[in-house]
Amino acid sequence: MSFLDKLRSLFAGTPEAGGDSAVPAIPCEEALSVVHDFLDGELEGVSHEQVKAHFDACQRCYPHLRLEEHYRQAMRRAGSRQQAPPGLKVKLMELLAEADA
Amino acid sequence: MTEPGERVDSAASFEAEALPHLDAVYRFALRLSGAPDQAEDLVQETFLRAYKSWGQYTRGTAAKSWLFTICRNVFLRARERRQRHNEIVTENVGREGPGVNPVNPIWVSVLGVDPEGDFFESIVDERIMEAIDDLPEEYRTAVVLSDLEGLPYADIAELMEVPVGTVKSRLFRGRRQLQTILYDYAVEMGYIAARAGTDE
Repeated sequence: MSFLDKLRSLFAGTPEAGGDSAVPAIPCEEALSVVHDFLDGELEGVSHEQVKAHFDACQRCYPHLRLEEHYRQAMRRAGSRQQAPPGLKVKLMELLAEADA
Repeated sequence: MTEPGERVDSAASFEAEALPHLDAVYRFALRLSGAPDQAEDLVQETFLRAYKSWGQYTRGTAAKSWLFTICRNVFLRARERRQRHNEIVTENVGREGPGVNPVNPIWVSVLGVDPEGDFFESIVDERIMEAIDDLPEEYRTAVVLSDLEGLPYADIAELMEVPVGTVKSRLFRGRRQLQTILYDYAVEMGYIAARAGTDE
């Protein structure tokens, strides 16, 4: 059994801690398999509350969520700082004016 | 025939609705083409085509997605002509594909060293962009549109002319590839220690 498979079997259970009893529990493997959909706001077939409750309660899965969050924060930061060169808008306006002529 | 008054209205509405997306379209064009001068050409061609077709655009809908669609189409057609890349992407259509381990291998690599992936925050913007550029176009486009521009899966699917399941698959694989590149870089730079036995 590979190291990854051993880890996978470790995550085949449900959270160790309690969490919100009003929200039906989901197993670790399901929570991990929808972590991207959860962060993208694109969940289907499972509610945001269910997934959130799992990550809030499960000490094993929580770092996975944080890792994906850190990745996204780095991506957003890198993306938001990149802007078009200052002269490009001017060139573009000239081009559009020519198209109108 | 377009009357002068209509032309002024059209130019004004284009400036108000389309031009605010210039930075986003430039970012996308830069990631697609990989070179600032090519990105500028691509942006100009995109906005010129959009301007000429502005009459067909339904006002108030997602102008950004529409501009991304034009930008990608212009890029892909130019690429076909030049055959700049020879990328073959194999992928499974559908969810993340049966048998794909939900445990992120990067998380395994950082276990005990940086389990919450703080190292991502240490990587400079320029290196992140270079890592994105290393992805195959299909993955790169999906990752840029979702992670940098925040587009919903449905919009990305429409833009790339593929089912939503394929978008999810491309995002899943693209993100894992990207995280692997960034992890390797973080180890090289000494931001994190390599985990013995798993980082070969």
